[in-house]
Amino acid sequence: MDEISKSLGVEPASIMRDIAELQSAGLISVTKRQVMEARLTDEGRRYASLGLPERRLLEFLRQRGVAAAELGKVARDALNAGALSSAAELRLAIQHLVRAGVCRVSEGRLVIDQGAIEEGLRRISEVERALSDVERSAAGLSEGVLRELRRRKLVTVKKRTIIVVQATDRCLEALRRGALRPARVVTRVTPDIILERKWGEVIFKRFDVSVEVPTVYPSRKHPYMELLDEVREILVSMGFEEMRGPHVELEFWNFDALFQAQDHPAREIHDTFFLKHPRTGSLPDRELMERVKLTHEMGWVTGSKGWGYEWSPERALRLVLRTQTTAVSVRTLYERGDGEYRCFALDRVFRPETLDAKHSMEFYQLEGIIVGRNVTFKHLLGFFEEFARRLGLGRVKIKPAYFPFTEPSVEGFIKHPKLGWVEVFPGGMFRPEVLLPLGVRESNVAAWGIGIDRIAMAVLGIDDIRQLFSPDLSFLREKPVPLVRSLAGW
Amino acid sequence: MPVVDVSWRDLERLVGRRLSWEELEECLAKLKCEVEEVEGDIVWYEATHDRPDLFSAEGLARALKGLLGVEVGLREFRVSREERVDLYVEGPSYRPYALGAVVRNLRLDDEAVRQLMNLQEKLHVTYCRDRRKVSIGLYDLDAIRPPIFYRSIKPGDVKFVPLDGEEAMTPAEVIRRTEKGRAYGHLISGYPEYPILVDSEGTVLSLPPIVNSEETRVTEETKNVFIDVTGTDPALMMKVLTVVATSVAERGAPEELVLVNVHAGGKVVVSPDLRLEVREVAREDAARLSGVELSCEEMAHCLRMMRHGAQVLDDRVRVEVAAYRVDILHTVDLVEDVLMAYGYDRITPEPLPPTHAGRISPEEYISRKVRDIMVGLGFQEVANYMMSCPDLLVRRMRLKGVELVEVENPKMERYTALRQWLLPGLLSVVSFNKHLGFPLKVFEIGDVAIVDPSSDVRARIERRAACIVAGPEVTMTDGLVTCKALMRSLGLTYSLRERSHPSFIEGRCADVLVGSRVVGLVGEFHPEVLSNFDIPVPAAGLELCLRALLSELASRS
Repeated sequence: MDEISKSLGVEPASIMRDIAELQSAGLISVTKRQVMEARLTDEGRRYASLGLPERRLLEFLRQRGVAAAELGKVARDALNAGALSSAAELRLAIQHLVRAGVCRVSEGRLVIDQGAIEEGLRRISEVERALSDVERSAAGLSEGVLRELRRRKLVTVKKRTIIVVQATDRCLEALRRGALRPARVVTRVTPDIILERKWGEVIFKRFDVSVEVPTVYPSRKHPYMELLDEVREILVSMGFEEMRGPHVELEFWNFDALFQAQDHPAREIHDTFFLKHPRTGSLPDRELMERVKLTHEMGWVTGSKGWGYEWSPERALRLVLRTQTTAVSVRTLYERGDGEYRCFALDRVFRPETLDAKHSMEFYQLEGIIVGRNVTFKHLLGFFEEFARRLGLGRVKIKPAYFPFTEPSVEGFIKHPKLGWVEVFPGGMFRPEVLLPLGVRESNVAAWGIGIDRIAMAVLGIDDIRQLFSPDLSFLREKPVPLVRSLAGW
Repeated sequence: MPVVDVSWRDLERLVGRRLSWEELEECLAKLKCEVEEVEGDIVWYEATHDRPDLFSAEGLARALKGLLGVEVGLREFRVSREERVDLYVEGPSYRPYALGAVVRNLRLDDEAVRQLMNLQEKLHVTYCRDRRKVSIGLYDLDAIRPPIFYRSIKPGDVKFVPLDGEEAMTPAEVIRRTEKGRAYGHLISGYPEYPILVDSEGTVLSLPPIVNSEETRVTEETKNVFIDVTGTDPALMMKVLTVVATSVAERGAPEELVLVNVHAGGKVVVSPDLRLEVREVAREDAARLSGVELSCEEMAHCLRMMRHGAQVLDDRVRVEVAAYRVDILHTVDLVEDVLMAYGYDRITPEPLPPTHAGRISPEEYISRKVRDIMVGLGFQEVANYMMSCPDLLVRRMRLKGVELVEVENPKMERYTALRQWLLPGLLSVVSFNKHLGFPLKVFEIGDVAIVDPSSDVRARIERRAACIVAGPEVTMTDGLVTCKALMRSLGLTYSLRERSHPSFIEGRCADVLVGSRVVGLVGEFHPEVLSNFDIPVPAAGLELCLRALLSELASRS
């Protein structure tokens, strides 16, 4: 491998993938071998060029013809002559000569055993030879010598894997037949490849699909807005027209026209945002106001007893942030009167809540009216069933309920996998006390609302209502697009 | 909606037979009540606001008897022909009215007394508006010598032992020193005179609307009860009194109701009001509303189950409604009673095929178009609340003196006003996400509220679209490019007119015009604005009024 990489002039790591490809194509065989690799330490390198300290001491002593001498003098002389470079080296030299049996130290004197010199020098030469060869071939050395070198910290030894690549017979055969030709390996398709029809001359580098690619995020619609739009689509397909009304509303349209008495608890500050600025609005239709007043006070001509209190026009003209989209329904009924029509509103309403995981001061309400001469309570139930089916909510269970502006009233429940039966469809038939003052004389009006936030949270898979208006782009990017079963055709 | 707790054993005793769990649950649902919890002998259920007669075991048992067939039709109360009790009313001007009722021959025990107290409490917090409009009191009649007087006195004039107390106190002391006094004292403490209820011998019954006297306390030994209601709204007081008196009467063995002659201002009114109300429900009208075809006999049967008197007359049913059914305002309420007794689960839903083509509103239509274009231009959609605050909408944008739609009773400092433009919310979003790296491109489509005296609600709601590009290389050009792309995609020719705006760098802001009409603005934000939002890079913004674009598009075709 090292040779290949050297001759190609590329890093070994960058051709590993090519080698693997060639191997899997059966063109080369790859064998891996572990080898020992020795490196001289600094000390070892010095001795390799100067000779081992014990040789240098022995040579020095032989040159002087010393057979025995006082240890201190030997030391001084050897260091002065430059045979040894330091006292430490001298100590090492004596230590090794003594261990080899060439010298001994007796009563402060160094005594040389002349008979052992030849054998000693032979041993020293052996170690020195090993020292000069070890980097080239550690494998050729005897275990004993290698161990000696390591013990004397003259070499360090590492294991290394050698990859040997060999052309297979198949490769050689292919070469012989001329089936293998040199070609350019490309990563990208370039215009010349296309325009000059060179695709046959290049090899397209294979892509490893298991490699993780960078994440990119499409810019998208807001998932909640997208879902609301799909809900609109369902209602349109059921024959409903969308209606709109102001978020800033007269108490009149938000409450009075709905036959909610002026002292109704929902009209208190815990349940309604009143405006500091602007404070009051206007209602040009005096007759309408009069009709509502009489209806509240004694029922007017509606057949009702009324609530039996004195109705205040000032109160009705106060401004609030609308608390229910029913305000939009009554405005529509006032404008359109009798007839055959269906309308819905899907818009925001406001309640004095502290924003937390379960409560919000601002949320969407979905609400609608079905107006017609022959519209009945049974149609309202039919609508619930159909709408739940289209939203993929399953069966609807209904129970009697109370709302101030409808009679009969009903609450529809759907089965939630975790929460059990959840109430999502309030509805009912608008009371005559609501309809007659608005000018709806002949028609029945089925009114319904849907807890759309709860449904949206279920579809979007979130459990914190604040996430519907999350400012966190990572959250919006990670959220899969909402899917509505009936629209998807499932 | 009040949550009522009743004892199962007590309920069975009042109904007169054993009740199965299924029966109770089914019947409660038919009465619009919902079981909240059952623990041992106690059942908690939520009653609806319109049915105060179901706020305690007595009224519930009466209704259950009808649904279970134990006793159907009108509940006729025994009223004494001879006896009358007198109540003389000269209350303080701020709480001038009082009414009364007497129920004799009761059999009470612990649970019965608890229920009657609970009923009072539920009525106090709902109909009586925390005793502001009406206050109710029950007394042991045998501890009192009628006639009874509702008077006004000076705060230190009399002394009595308040309920649960041991020493006699003046009304002023009661307000200061008792728990009830501290809770409700504010209803009278601002006036020089307090209301008081005393008998012919000067025994104090109560200091309405604060507390009764210990001396006249109702216990399990009590056989005869005097009930008073005092307050500011006589019509409501009569309803409340009737509900309480008829509920107490359910504890009779058997009961005997005694009417009270209320003497006030030289006139005499008789209370409680036990008069029946007669209504006629035409079979055809009921069917036209409900879609359920029932015969007059079936309807009458259902109405009797709901404890109404019902008599079939040809094609209609003559219904007698008991006085305690304060929820019956109209015959539609009786139609609902019929349906509830019949059972909602027996009503077959009727399909509702579309009769006309539906459509979304023009605002949503144009919003969809713009949303698609903006996404195509690489902007991520975000959604902010319409509620915001002046700090964000005005101050941080370097604006001054902008009129906003502001609420009087905000719950949180961050949400006190409606936004008058979208860009500040988008700047918040950019700031929130700056750790994701730049450039950031976001847009929002939504409504804003602009104070407008010419509108009936003094505010104009406008559908807007706005976007921001923020990044180290951004200049006004990025805003202009987006504006151009969007307007061209919509097929609108537009022009730009330089303008000055505190939120943008001088010389880097322009109105967007279609013809001579201003439909929006585009510009590069002032560094001080960016600093106010803690955004470290330049940013350009564009805000357009979709309503204006829509009418330009409409006038074109």
